[in-house]
Amino acid sequence: MNLTEQEKALIRELQRGFKLERRPFLRAARAVDMTEEGVIAKVAEWLKNGVIRRVGIAVRPQKVGNAANALVAWKVHAERVEEVGTAMAKHAEVSHCYERDCPPGWPYNLFTMIHARDEEQLEKLLARFEETLGLEKPKVLRTVRELKKSSMRYFEEKAE
Amino acid sequence: MDEKDREIIRLLQNGFPLEPEPFKTLGDKLWIDESGVISRLARMMQDEAIRYVGPFFDSRLLGYVGALAAMDVPAERVDEVAAILAEYHEITHNYLRDGTPNVWFTIIARDEARKQAILDDVKRRGNIASIQLFQARRLFKVRMDQD
Repeated sequence: MNLTEQEKALIRELQRGFKLERRPFLRAARAVDMTEEGVIAKVAEWLKNGVIRRVGIAVRPQKVGNAANALVAWKVHAERVEEVGTAMAKHAEVSHCYERDCPPGWPYNLFTMIHARDEEQLEKLLARFEETLGLEKPKVLRTVRELKKSSMRYFEEKAE
Repeated sequence: MDEKDREIIRLLQNGFPLEPEPFKTLGDKLWIDESGVISRLARMMQDEAIRYVGPFFDSRLLGYVGALAAMDVPAERVDEVAAILAEYHEITHNYLRDGTPNVWFTIIARDEARKQAILDDVKRRGNIASIQLFQARRLFKVRMDQD
């Protein structure tokens, strides 16, 4: 992806999040010397080509009523990864689902992030996945404590 | 949080209007005025129910490389090591989890060399024997609004 300096500047500006004011695109436009329509058109273009995955909000799961959050890793045979990954991705409780290359000694190759109301719901959901998809007991890595959560900021590295 | 707040969250999870006056458009759908939408969002951000309003960029399409990483840190040193990880803006998420390894973090860097440099740094500064890397091979789903 070849970006112009102005496009990088726009990304730096937009990734700080919208100001909660009537015309958030106008503020971004002024900061990078573009027009408001120009910024909106650029965001629409990036949304279309995938550079922007979505425009919306990030919520804190614990604050919207999910108390049991876990990274759950499943052992899935290579030939079933497609089927199982696709099936898991359909569930609203699954926010992330990735097949990953794993270090030696770690056979759990399909990683899901699962958010449930409480521990009981989480257990039920895992049991249902095991049963319907015919999977072995997964590695359940419950969140004990959030140590850091931030949004990545691109093109802000200092020149070295 | 009341029903209108939840409606605003639901609407925004489906996408933000790409228009000059986006909060007016949202308000029109919910029978509240523009300033009502803005003040509700401001309150939810202050209460930390909402962490961010804006676009989510695809790190890979911007040329960045990422990975999930894990390492084992003795309980009494978790805070000290967390403080080191917190210094790198390329380390975006870090969680203490039950089981082994117990500290899991995500890293996004502008290239492989920078990623390796950060991991080496963390090992040396945190006195960590080894960091395990779980490189994404295939993405099935990412809902960054729950991220």
